[in-house]
Amino acid sequence: MTLDEEMVGQTERLIRFIKEADWGAMPSDEAFGDLALRSFRLQCRAIPAYGAYARHVGCAPEQVRDWRDVPPAPASAFKTHDLSAAPKDAAILFETSGTTISTPGRVRLGSTDLYEISLLENFAEHLLPDGARLDAVVFGPTVAAAPRSSLWFMVDRVVSFFCGWAAWGVAGGEPNWDWLDAALLQASSEGEPVLLLGTTLLFHAYFERCDRREVRFSLPPGSRAMDTGGAKGFRVALERATIEADFARVLGIPSTHVVNEYGMAEMGSQFYDDSYLATHQRRAIRPGKRIPPWVRTRVLDPETMDEVGDGVSGVLVHYDLANLEIPLAIQTEDLGIRQGVRLLIEGRLPEAERRGCSLPFERFAERERAGER
Amino acid sequence: MTSGLYDAYYLPRGVAADGESTVQRFGPPHDAIELRLPVVTSAAIAYWARSIAAARREYLLCRPAAQIHRALERVAERFLEPRSAARENAVAWLERSGRFSAPMIARALDDTFRPLARGGVTRWVNAELGGASALDRPMPDRKGVACRATSPEWVFQIYAGNVPGLPVWPLFSALAMKSAVLAKTSSQEPLLAPLLARTIAEEDETLGACIAVAWWKGGTEELDRAALRLAPAVLAFGGESAIAAVARAARPDAIVVVHGPKVSVAYVAREALTRAALKGAASRAALDVALYDQQGCLSPHAFYVERGGEVGPGAFAAALGGALEELRGGIPRGTPGPHAAAGIQLYRAQARFDEATGTRGTHVLGASEGTDWTVVYEEGARFEPSPAYRTVRVHSVSGVEEVIGVLAPEVRYIEAVGLEARGSRRPRLAASLSATGVPRIAPLGSLQTPTPAGTHGGVHRISQFLRWTTVERMVARASASRPSAPRSRRSTRGKSRSK
Repeated sequence: MTLDEEMVGQTERLIRFIKEADWGAMPSDEAFGDLALRSFRLQCRAIPAYGAYARHVGCAPEQVRDWRDVPPAPASAFKTHDLSAAPKDAAILFETSGTTISTPGRVRLGSTDLYEISLLENFAEHLLPDGARLDAVVFGPTVAAAPRSSLWFMVDRVVSFFCGWAAWGVAGGEPNWDWLDAALLQASSEGEPVLLLGTTLLFHAYFERCDRREVRFSLPPGSRAMDTGGAKGFRVALERATIEADFARVLGIPSTHVVNEYGMAEMGSQFYDDSYLATHQRRAIRPGKRIPPWVRTRVLDPETMDEVGDGVSGVLVHYDLANLEIPLAIQTEDLGIRQGVRLLIEGRLPEAERRGCSLPFERFAERERAGER
Repeated sequence: MTSGLYDAYYLPRGVAADGESTVQRFGPPHDAIELRLPVVTSAAIAYWARSIAAARREYLLCRPAAQIHRALERVAERFLEPRSAARENAVAWLERSGRFSAPMIARALDDTFRPLARGGVTRWVNAELGGASALDRPMPDRKGVACRATSPEWVFQIYAGNVPGLPVWPLFSALAMKSAVLAKTSSQEPLLAPLLARTIAEEDETLGACIAVAWWKGGTEELDRAALRLAPAVLAFGGESAIAAVARAARPDAIVVVHGPKVSVAYVAREALTRAALKGAASRAALDVALYDQQGCLSPHAFYVERGGEVGPGAFAAALGGALEELRGGIPRGTPGPHAAAGIQLYRAQARFDEATGTRGTHVLGASEGTDWTVVYEEGARFEPSPAYRTVRVHSVSGVEEVIGVLAPEVRYIEAVGLEARGSRRPRLAASLSATGVPRIAPLGSLQTPTPAGTHGGVHRISQFLRWTTVERMVARASASRPSAPRSRRSTRGKSRSK
């Protein structure tokens, strides 16, 4: 079998695994590990730079027997190396934001089937467990206007699969507040719940504008919102409670219906808050974000890089079966705490807090900003 | 000594903190210090500013500057005195803040106060102004023109907390030029400035009357503006957006000096890379890296090392790693926070990725365990700050032109270049590097010991804030038709010619 054929076969196996995933329980280590090791071995062949790295750090594919020993690619390596198995002219190219001295990270995908199944299953589980088909208001650009953003690709897929009509609030790189006003006004008057999708940053900016103009909406019950980004990359830390209160005050969406998402261009899978799912299931909201059944996150002591137990903070290293054309294991510099299948993400230190005459180096240290992933 | 509540502010005697105070916890969660802080309001800031400005009029203006300088020198000596209360307090409290090790703090106090003690302030003022008397009355300058320096009524100083000792030279500079000072401390290090102010007041009560030190949360616009709209002069340290905000909010006629984020680099010439000299050069380089854990603007993040010496850049990188390993015991590193450690781990993983893929000939040297130090070797020059905490890159380079090409576009982010070179090449290399406009070029191993008489960010510490009055005498106007005619003072005396 050629490498291409093996990739196709593995894609099918992974899609089946994700589709059949049981959200009630983590799949067995064996089932996860078997697929992870198969992907890893293919990735070592199909992505030469990654294969060289694995061998260099003593984790050659023929030596690794446990998925935990799959060496994570540093997230920054997407900026410096070609970490994709897809052909150069692949259909999809996502970019992470660059800085003035670094080029953007690049994620090239020949097929988005695996990515789509992961994002749709996960989104449906956390935002549409009632199977609702809602109209959408997107606090962001269309995928045509932002073809290199994995976030707006994701939103586009969600809207195509799950939503009826959608309004997009960013055009030409600028938010069009009037469109958003009009869309929300219409939604308020029509009485049908809507789905809001966007970056925390843009929601926040919109809420500030509404406050200045004393504009308030009362979106129909059942309306819900997914916001992404949070404090990551923010100059000023945004308290989660503040954002949730803003949703309630300005739009009439209670905090139980606001779901924060954490994701990155280097991962096919995302992590969601429990808020809406718990409300739907009439149980207490569990803290943190759900690790999807096809993802494992290891938490490592930042000083020693040894794995720490549940409840202890450390560096997050993700193992994502939705990554096949790019390495499945990704080392981030995000910190978090794992609690069983849930992850409490601590985010990055807001730049404003890191002052001094030397660092922070805001210009250099600027990380992927929400919406540019 | 460090138990109980710490007064993390200083107000002159008789200047009440104007009401309430709060207690805030500061430092590592398991060992936090409780700080007492006054509740700062715009009205309090205005009142403090009036008080210190009045004290300056009453006590500083009429006093010979040289006397003030001697008092400041005695304060510096107190902090250098091995078992003085000032020094012991400073070391103990700064250590409790948990960012730097005790040996590092002791070293910082020595390096900061030594150049000020025993005539140091006098020498500093002499170097900048030619003498202290110009702060008291018109004094003839080198051309014989009588000049008098006028200092701002008071200076609003905003400190950063990245290196221990940062508030010392700014506070001394204000008093040395007869300005009062209102200082806002950093939330990272709110301890030394009030201790210094109290020690100054103990040494000289009238100087103490001209100082106010307070803390309020960074970015509290109302309070920042309250101070900035009154301040005739501002000296601010901070991040790019913070100092830009300060500059915007300052009075249009204010003298504003801001110091934003910067790092340093070093250049090692091939002549200096002999087998015999390698260890010494590496030790000096390691000291510059280790001090203050690369938190300051004088810390080198990159070493540009010329190829073609008796030993190569790779050997220098290895020797630097060895020297950093040796310093682990002598000057222990402070513990980086988890975010910083995570950043170092990602930096290392990326360097290993480069190494694995043969990118730029990268080679990773690192501490055996933990993030204690990291040296990454690569071929060719580029400029990219490291995640600090003793993390450096050694670049093998062909010559100074290659390095200048890389540094010149980023020079506003570079405070100093450490230079290791010998013989006639040293002045030539220094000339080439100085053409970039980098503020300071200093021998390797002395990057962390600048002198107050030098510049910071390319500007002098005192003279930048002064305005000059010249007292001119009548001079004969040379006749247009006889430009070379000898002047006769007598012939012009009594006629008013000035325009």
